[in-house]
Amino acid sequence: MDPQPEPTSYICGDCGAENTLKPGDVIQCRECGYRILYKKRTRRVVQYEAR
Amino acid sequence: MGADPNVDLSSLAAPVSCPVDKFPLLPAFLKVRGLVKQHIDSFDYFINHGIKKIMKANDRIVCRHDPAMYLRYTNIYVARPSRITDTINEPLTPHGCRLSDSTYAADILVDVEYTIGHGTAKTPKKGEHKHGPPTLQMRRKVIIGRMPIMLRSSHCVLTGKDETELAKLGECPLDPGGYFVVKGTERVILIQEQLSKNRIIIDTDSKGRVTASVTSSTHETKSKTVFFMEKEKIYLQLNQFAKPIPILVVMKAMGMESDQEVVQMLGRDPRYGSLLLPSIEECASERIYTQQQALSYLEGKLTSFSSSRDGGRREGMAGTILLDVFLANVPVINGNFRPKCIYASVMLRRMMDAILNTDTFDDKDYVGNKRLELSGQLISLLFEDLFKSMNSCAADLLNKAYENTSHHSHFHLFQPSFILKQDMITNGLEKAISTGNWDLKRFKMHRKGVSQVVSRLSFIAALGHMTRISPQFEKTRKVSGPRALQPSQWGMLCPCDTPEGEACGLTKNLALMTHVTTDDEEGPLISLCYSLGVEDLALLSGEELHAPNSFLVILNGLILGKHRQPRRFAGALRKLRRLGKIGEFVSVFVNDKQRCVYVASDGGRVCRPLVIADKGVSRIKEHHIQELRAGVRNFDDFLHEGLIEYLDVNEENNALIALYEGDIDKDDADNEKDANKSNITHIEIEPFTILGVCAGLIPFPHHNQSPRNTYQCAMGKQAMGNIGYNQLCRADTLLYLLVYPQCPLLTTKTIELVGFDKLGAGQNATVAVMSYSGYDIEDAIVMNKSSLDRGFGRCIAMKKYSCVNEIYSNGARDKIVRPDTDPSSRKSTMQILDNDGIAAPGEIVRNHDVLVNKYAPKNTGDRHPSGTPIDYRPANATYKGPEGETTVIDRVLLSSDPNGKLCIKFIVRHTRRPELGDKFSSRHGQKGVCGTIVQQEDFPFTERGICPDLIMNPHGYPSRMTVGKMIELLGSKAGVSCGRFHYGSAFGEPSGHADKVEDISATLVKHGFSYSGKDFLYSGITGYPLQAYIFMGPIYYQKLKHMVLDKMHARAKGPRVTLTRQPTEGRSRDGGLRLGEMERDCLIAYGTSMILFERLMLSSDPYQVQVCRKCGLLGYYNYKLKTAFCSMCKNGDNISTMKLPYACKLLFQELQSMNVVPRLKLTVA
Repeated sequence: MDPQPEPTSYICGDCGAENTLKPGDVIQCRECGYRILYKKRTRRVVQYEAR
Repeated sequence: MGADPNVDLSSLAAPVSCPVDKFPLLPAFLKVRGLVKQHIDSFDYFINHGIKKIMKANDRIVCRHDPAMYLRYTNIYVARPSRITDTINEPLTPHGCRLSDSTYAADILVDVEYTIGHGTAKTPKKGEHKHGPPTLQMRRKVIIGRMPIMLRSSHCVLTGKDETELAKLGECPLDPGGYFVVKGTERVILIQEQLSKNRIIIDTDSKGRVTASVTSSTHETKSKTVFFMEKEKIYLQLNQFAKPIPILVVMKAMGMESDQEVVQMLGRDPRYGSLLLPSIEECASERIYTQQQALSYLEGKLTSFSSSRDGGRREGMAGTILLDVFLANVPVINGNFRPKCIYASVMLRRMMDAILNTDTFDDKDYVGNKRLELSGQLISLLFEDLFKSMNSCAADLLNKAYENTSHHSHFHLFQPSFILKQDMITNGLEKAISTGNWDLKRFKMHRKGVSQVVSRLSFIAALGHMTRISPQFEKTRKVSGPRALQPSQWGMLCPCDTPEGEACGLTKNLALMTHVTTDDEEGPLISLCYSLGVEDLALLSGEELHAPNSFLVILNGLILGKHRQPRRFAGALRKLRRLGKIGEFVSVFVNDKQRCVYVASDGGRVCRPLVIADKGVSRIKEHHIQELRAGVRNFDDFLHEGLIEYLDVNEENNALIALYEGDIDKDDADNEKDANKSNITHIEIEPFTILGVCAGLIPFPHHNQSPRNTYQCAMGKQAMGNIGYNQLCRADTLLYLLVYPQCPLLTTKTIELVGFDKLGAGQNATVAVMSYSGYDIEDAIVMNKSSLDRGFGRCIAMKKYSCVNEIYSNGARDKIVRPDTDPSSRKSTMQILDNDGIAAPGEIVRNHDVLVNKYAPKNTGDRHPSGTPIDYRPANATYKGPEGETTVIDRVLLSSDPNGKLCIKFIVRHTRRPELGDKFSSRHGQKGVCGTIVQQEDFPFTERGICPDLIMNPHGYPSRMTVGKMIELLGSKAGVSCGRFHYGSAFGEPSGHADKVEDISATLVKHGFSYSGKDFLYSGITGYPLQAYIFMGPIYYQKLKHMVLDKMHARAKGPRVTLTRQPTEGRSRDGGLRLGEMERDCLIAYGTSMILFERLMLSSDPYQVQVCRKCGLLGYYNYKLKTAFCSMCKNGDNISTMKLPYACKLLFQELQSMNVVPRLKLTVA
């Protein structure tokens, strides 16, 4: 098996709490139980073209 | 009453000098009723009342083997929308359902009482209960299924919430509701138009025969009874009878053996008698004189189908058909057929009236003869069907269990949870709403497209979708009648809003103030009618029925009796309605022609509120409106106090409705007008309410040519703008948003009422009406490049890509893997992936980029042996978008779908600025594409330095005659210069809801513009003044969803279809551009044979074949022997090589497979 990827954190759609998820985890906020999580914005530098 | 000396009596007696401004009633009306109240009311009625009626009609499940064992529903109710997850009952929100692809539904709960057997024997003989009768058990709150809940209905979590609470739930406060969320998609159940049920309709059929038909619909049966006249004789047509039945036979079969009585019932006039004579003679010639003879005659005419149903037993069948099917809406109590006889004779009389006087035919297109079927009724049908299926299924289970178990275990037999299968109702409802297919065998109903996905192109599109009425006829019918504008649809259905093309005039939309009724209780109305002096039908002889000075009283198509003073009766009923003693939507209509009083309380009638007037004087006075403004009075108070009432289309015929109160005063001098004035019974609230939501956006629609308004109604639904306050939180598959939407400078009252000013779909562009550059012919628009830089017409396209982490039947599941850690060795398409293998928001995406680095197991079928590693293959989710364009990931949602699989949704955002070929339109049906984009430096400008945003060709005006657009320009120009929004409501000039051109011009002059709206312009190219003054000012422009980027397509070479080896079709498959039949004809006519050859063969599907010159069949080339060979002649002697389209070779082979031999004859060219 591949080495376990380090858990990434996600943001709860309801309360905004950060949740760390491992592959196979149930998608649910640990704080409030909301079932939709959002991915955090990329930490890479991005440059947009303003036309 | 002593006169107060301070009051000047003469001023009281004087006519009202200025009419009361009734406009504040409108917002009050919409506050109480809402824009889609008809849907919500209908659904509420079903959830709170209709469902209980259905339950009561089928409340018992009885065991076949032991009738003493039963299960009975005592109550049924729908809970609040919630979902049970991990044994916790958590409330659902509509927005949560949209995001997580689940259904916004609530549990349907029943209270039941059921029996527990005390070990009665397995096959009990009659009346045998060894251990006494079974005991009763009660169970409460048994779940039988889940009901999708309409948004903003009484059971929805959104009702009664204020703006902040709605925002907390992720909902837009301006969203009208009235739709369902099923499996994450929003679906409306369209309003269905139908001919009214249980009413006599006199019409001519396709053969030109006069017919009287009744479509009966009761809770038990649905049937259609038709009387028609052929060769002067009248017959009955009923599906259960193979042949038409002479009408007199039917009457005799119902017990009216005397011909005299039949004639009496038709009325004294000898003309009726003589019209019936041939029918009487026919009946006599058949030698039918008694009821018995008539019944046996009918039994002979039964269709084989209906007689075979009861095992071929024909005796008594005719009687039951007369009882249950013939005029099924007329109840037969204790075998008393008299009401049916009278109903039939009334039908006959109406038919004969129509023959004697053609004016009395009914118009099928008349709105009063129509009923609108709303979501509540449609779901109620569906639920009834499913409920009955569930019950019969439960009965089956019960019987089976009873047979199989020993008598000791009967105890658990009737456990409701055991026999009531939940998923039947849940799945049935969900499936029907999510597909739109209403297949109900029980009611012989097979309808498709009943529900549609709510169009969320713009706010108005969604709103317009809720008010749409889908037609009853098929679109293929070539008749013009149903498509034409009906005078009776005034104020009820929008005259402008209908699609162009095949559904033109058939698909309609509700007007702003229309309300659709729901069923009202009949019982109290019937007793009220009798106490108001209706003489009971049972007490009347045939002679009295049509006595000259009396009117028949008909309630919901059922003849109650007659009344000698119909006007007084109608007046009394109306008075009671205004007092609120009977339902506000009960209509009373005195029909002088038919000598009937029609009382209606059934559902599906369209009606609208009107101000009541006494002799032309409005009951609403200034103080009422002041109280309304102060908030101490609402619309319902007006209704309860008898100031306003709802009239349906039929009752409008008994009313004289004035447009304005002021109108009545103007013509006082004329005596005739004065008489007219005193007859006025009602006054319109506001004339612009005859238009619907979409047409309400058009400023000055009454100055436009009518089809232009219709075009705008269609285009307003394609305009980009704001969808709702929650638009950035939604996850629609495709969402178009305008970047800087504005509210129109020239508004209408409707715009403010529906909230278009808060969720606009366009921008106010400064338009110069002039010709420029030649790139503006045929409605093209020249755009200012700097305006585009400033953000004019800029839009965002948000697209959803979803990816499901599949779990397979053998337990294997997809896995998402972290990409190569070293960025340099990573594939270029994997650059945007995060550490979790999923692309992150904010990243720039290009075509073919990987969104999820997913691997799927190779073995998904059978069980995987434990211990060995699972083989995976890459199954990436890639982004497909326009080549060369860059888009940005806006959001990434992770959720588990209803099956528990991980679902990842990417919302990808693409910002677009207008480009050549993008479509724009004003609000007057004047659409055009962007023809060229010009630097601002080259644009014309005024002395003040104003430079237009776009230039429109003046040739767009003369033929379109959109004067409203010119007034809009003037009004907007005055608006920007004086800083006040100007109004252009339909027909608004007299009531001050539309500014007059005269006033606008005055404002313009005041601010230093020409009264005509024309400006002095300099050419941007030469710098010299232009030769003419240019008509210039702001016009509200909409950007339509048709954009070049989504449509442009070209290919040199590309994919081909495997079967024919011809290029694929369509842009999505990178298809070729077809040289079609007509283009081919042109080339043939021109004689360019080589081009033809190239297009049809070389560029398409050339194929080399070996043809045998001898047998003319296709051979093959043997690559091993390097020779061609004919498999028919078994040699390779006479083979020629030639080129052929592959499709041609395919045709030959297909023909051969059908035993047809195509042979090629070759000649030397």
